[in-house]
Amino acid sequence: MTSSPALMIEARGVEKWYPNGFHALRGVDLCVHQGEVVVIMGPSGSGKSTFLRTFNALEDFQKGSIVVDGIEISDDLRRIDAIRREVGMVFQQFNLFPHLSVLDNLTLAPVKVRKRPKAEVERQALELLERVGIAEQAHKFPGQLSGGQQQRVAIARSLCMEPRIMLFDEPTSALDPEMVQEVLAVMQELARDGMTMVVVSHEVRFARQVASRVVLMADGEVVEVAPPQQFFTNPQHERSKQFLSQIS
Amino acid sequence: MTSRSEIPPWWRNRRYLPWLVQGGVALVIGVVVAFLLTNLLLNLTARGMLLSWSWLGQPAGFDLAETILPFDASLPYWRAMLAGLVNTLRVVIAGLVGATVLGTLIGTASFSSNGLLRKLARVYVEVIRNIPLLLQLIFWYFVVFLALPNGRDALHLPGIVLAKSGLFLGSPELVDGVWQAPLRFTVEFGALLTGLVVYTAAFIAEVVRGGVASVPRGQWEAATSLGFSPLLTLRRIVLPQAFRVIVPGLNSQYISLAKNSSLAVACGFTDLYSVSETTLNQTGRAVEVMLILLGSYLVIDLVISALMNGLNGLVQLRER
Amino acid sequence: MASTAPLVVRASPLRSLQKELFGSRLDGLISIALLAALLAAGLGFFRWALFQAQWAVLSANSTLFAVGRYPIEQQWRLWLLTSLLALATGLSWGLLRAFPGSGAVRALWPRNDRWAAAILVLLALWRPLALNLTLAIQVRWWGIAGLMLLARWVAGRFGPAIPQACRRLIPLLWPLLYLVGMVLISGGLGLVQVPPSEWGGLLLTVLMATFAILLCFPLGVLLALGRRSELPLLRWSSVIYIEFIRGAPLITLLFLGQNILGFMLPGGLTPDRVWRAAWVLTFFAAAYVAEAVRSGLVAVPAGQLEAARSLGLPVPLALVHVVLPQAIRVALPATVGQFISLLQDTTLLSLIGLLDLLGTARTVMANPMFLGKSAEVYLVLAILFWSCCAALGLGSRALETRLNPHSPSAPQA
Repeated sequence: MTSSPALMIEARGVEKWYPNGFHALRGVDLCVHQGEVVVIMGPSGSGKSTFLRTFNALEDFQKGSIVVDGIEISDDLRRIDAIRREVGMVFQQFNLFPHLSVLDNLTLAPVKVRKRPKAEVERQALELLERVGIAEQAHKFPGQLSGGQQQRVAIARSLCMEPRIMLFDEPTSALDPEMVQEVLAVMQELARDGMTMVVVSHEVRFARQVASRVVLMADGEVVEVAPPQQFFTNPQHERSKQFLSQIS
Repeated sequence: MTSRSEIPPWWRNRRYLPWLVQGGVALVIGVVVAFLLTNLLLNLTARGMLLSWSWLGQPAGFDLAETILPFDASLPYWRAMLAGLVNTLRVVIAGLVGATVLGTLIGTASFSSNGLLRKLARVYVEVIRNIPLLLQLIFWYFVVFLALPNGRDALHLPGIVLAKSGLFLGSPELVDGVWQAPLRFTVEFGALLTGLVVYTAAFIAEVVRGGVASVPRGQWEAATSLGFSPLLTLRRIVLPQAFRVIVPGLNSQYISLAKNSSLAVACGFTDLYSVSETTLNQTGRAVEVMLILLGSYLVIDLVISALMNGLNGLVQLRER
Repeated sequence: MASTAPLVVRASPLRSLQKELFGSRLDGLISIALLAALLAAGLGFFRWALFQAQWAVLSANSTLFAVGRYPIEQQWRLWLLTSLLALATGLSWGLLRAFPGSGAVRALWPRNDRWAAAILVLLALWRPLALNLTLAIQVRWWGIAGLMLLARWVAGRFGPAIPQACRRLIPLLWPLLYLVGMVLISGGLGLVQVPPSEWGGLLLTVLMATFAILLCFPLGVLLALGRRSELPLLRWSSVIYIEFIRGAPLITLLFLGQNILGFMLPGGLTPDRVWRAAWVLTFFAAAYVAEAVRSGLVAVPAGQLEAARSLGLPVPLALVHVVLPQAIRVALPATVGQFISLLQDTTLLSLIGLLDLLGTARTVMANPMFLGKSAEVYLVLAILFWSCCAALGLGSRALETRLNPHSPSAPQA
């Protein structure tokens, strides 16, 4: 082992209050190293999605600090844009752009933000679509695809920006059961290729097979962090035991 | 790693930018408004016509062609404008009733079992909607109402006489070649009312049609399977549900009709706008007249909206 | 072996007509009454139109109706503009056909187009004759119609051969034409100045309508964005503006523009009445367009903007490429409805003394020679307005279909 893997995300003491006074995040810490796959689980309302969204500044926070890929999140718009270029996000509702073809969905951001030539981006986009298994749908529109296909396009769209970290916010929760596997397979392959991933999900089997660590959140706090074998077979915290009994 | 205490410059600072943008917009708006108002004050002062309301008490010096309130040239301006307002309200209220009735008839006709009736309803809406209202008003006034015969040749139905000099209700009688009756409506009123009703009914028909169409097909089917006739279904099951969608749409059509009544000046009907125009031409008091005019229409709109919102509250489904 | 396909009983057209009109006894009575009334009205109308109506009032004043009091020696500029318009329309039409939206089949002269072309040729032949125009003018109209059809054919045939780089410039054609048109109409750049007071008739109506339509749209979009903004000042300014305008009848605002605007500007600066009215129309329509666009913005899910931002797109780019295209597609029918209203509202210009199409018509009918011939003129005006508005409505539906080919709720072409 030469050097320890780089620290991609470092969150310390993050606290967030909503305007109505609700204390959504109560001082959470997390460190994610390069190549790690961290799966965040927890009951609904635990703040896991909110926490995930602070990593690319879609949610702001009042206290604490978050450093992503060496850049600290602050009020500087330039830094936030830089972070967003390096962090890709996949949403529960896919959020594909319905008025653009699949190919255009992928090429929009690289062309406009990274200012790359269109032909080169299109070539890369087609390769990515091949990689997620839907190259032949390149010229279709999102409305013509199934849920599983749309989510795979969403993953390819984020990958087209060549991010260093990928965030997944309950990527399979809105899918019909028979399509969940095709999306998880793509995510698994992404992990195998060494992508740093933070995934909010309920998929226990995925966490068992792919996660480097599992994080349990409840009521805005991190309850337990452990490797999957330990977490699922021998949880330490009372809350973790309660959660695991609810989902199995 | 950059430290947190470094405040980024203002043009990329997420916290300051919203305030700066608002400040910039406020500045621009402020400058423009100040510019316009200053010029206004300067120009008005130069003409000795700063804002005052005393001129409203001076005698008007013009007659009104038609008014319910007693009025003549010696009465003050404010009486003239009040008479105009009353005229506007007269035609607006009558127009709202007429347009709603006609519009509902045409809107429900689109669901009739008779193919010809459906087609005619469609044609009515498509034709009326695409011809300017002013053109239609002028047509009704000059081509139809003013072409009515007069005197002895007037159209005579029991209790009603329709002549060029007006619509006479009650027991009309011919006195020295001129018709008289307890209740009289001028052709100007008639033309304006007809034009407004015909035009607005087309839009209301569309609102009603949309409302009835929004009721799920299952409601019709359930009613039929219970033995309801189509007319009963419409009245008791479908229309009450359709109202939820119709009432908000009616609100904007009613306000539209109230505003369109200002075109009365094309028919020679002395409504609020027409009186205001004459007043302004006589006194030159543009700003004050404008304020009264805009204020009045605003109040009319607010009253209509308030009434419709109340109706809306009644009509919405009580849900858990 | 006997065929197992089910027998399809297709009702004959006569049978379905009978069912529609005479399905029940009540329906039958209604149908008879309506048919009788229609027949009577129709016969009465045709009798009037063919025998009593005097159409000379139109042919005698055709120039007045068309361009108002535009100086005769400068009218060649208007002919040039009309030819350019015909050229541009033909090119756009042809290019639309040459590059159909995704999924549509490409055909050089689809059936609708053949009908349109036939109507065009018919109008070009019949109208000059009906209006008793001189041969010189008749030839010009035939030339213009021919030019449009030729441009249509050329664009349709050779359109796909245009290189990609040039294709991007094509939408610029119309704004460019608008600028050229303004110069041709009003003067400047070596051409004699023709002041707005001499513009009239159809020219003025079309000019006012296109000016207001072109400008009210971007203004309306800005207002709609402002109204949805999180910044309180922007939101309240937009709300106040929109509600103020929507509460006022247009005629009062036009009146305000004519009377008070002069007081609000320094000293000797009074823009021409025509331009004052044009700007009032624009600001008026912008408030209504803003409401239409706002309903479109509301229809775009919040996740779209989030996805765009998380890809690194800054907010302006995200709005332009992701949010607005979707919002405008939803708002298109309502927005075009506002444009149609705007076209109809230009008639109000006649009430403040401007000589648009309606104003010109009224002055023509004040002429003692043509007293009492109002019905003919109004009928033609009504048909003219109706066709323009109906055409806009059809165009809107076609545009809707083209932009939403895969939407489940899109009207079928």
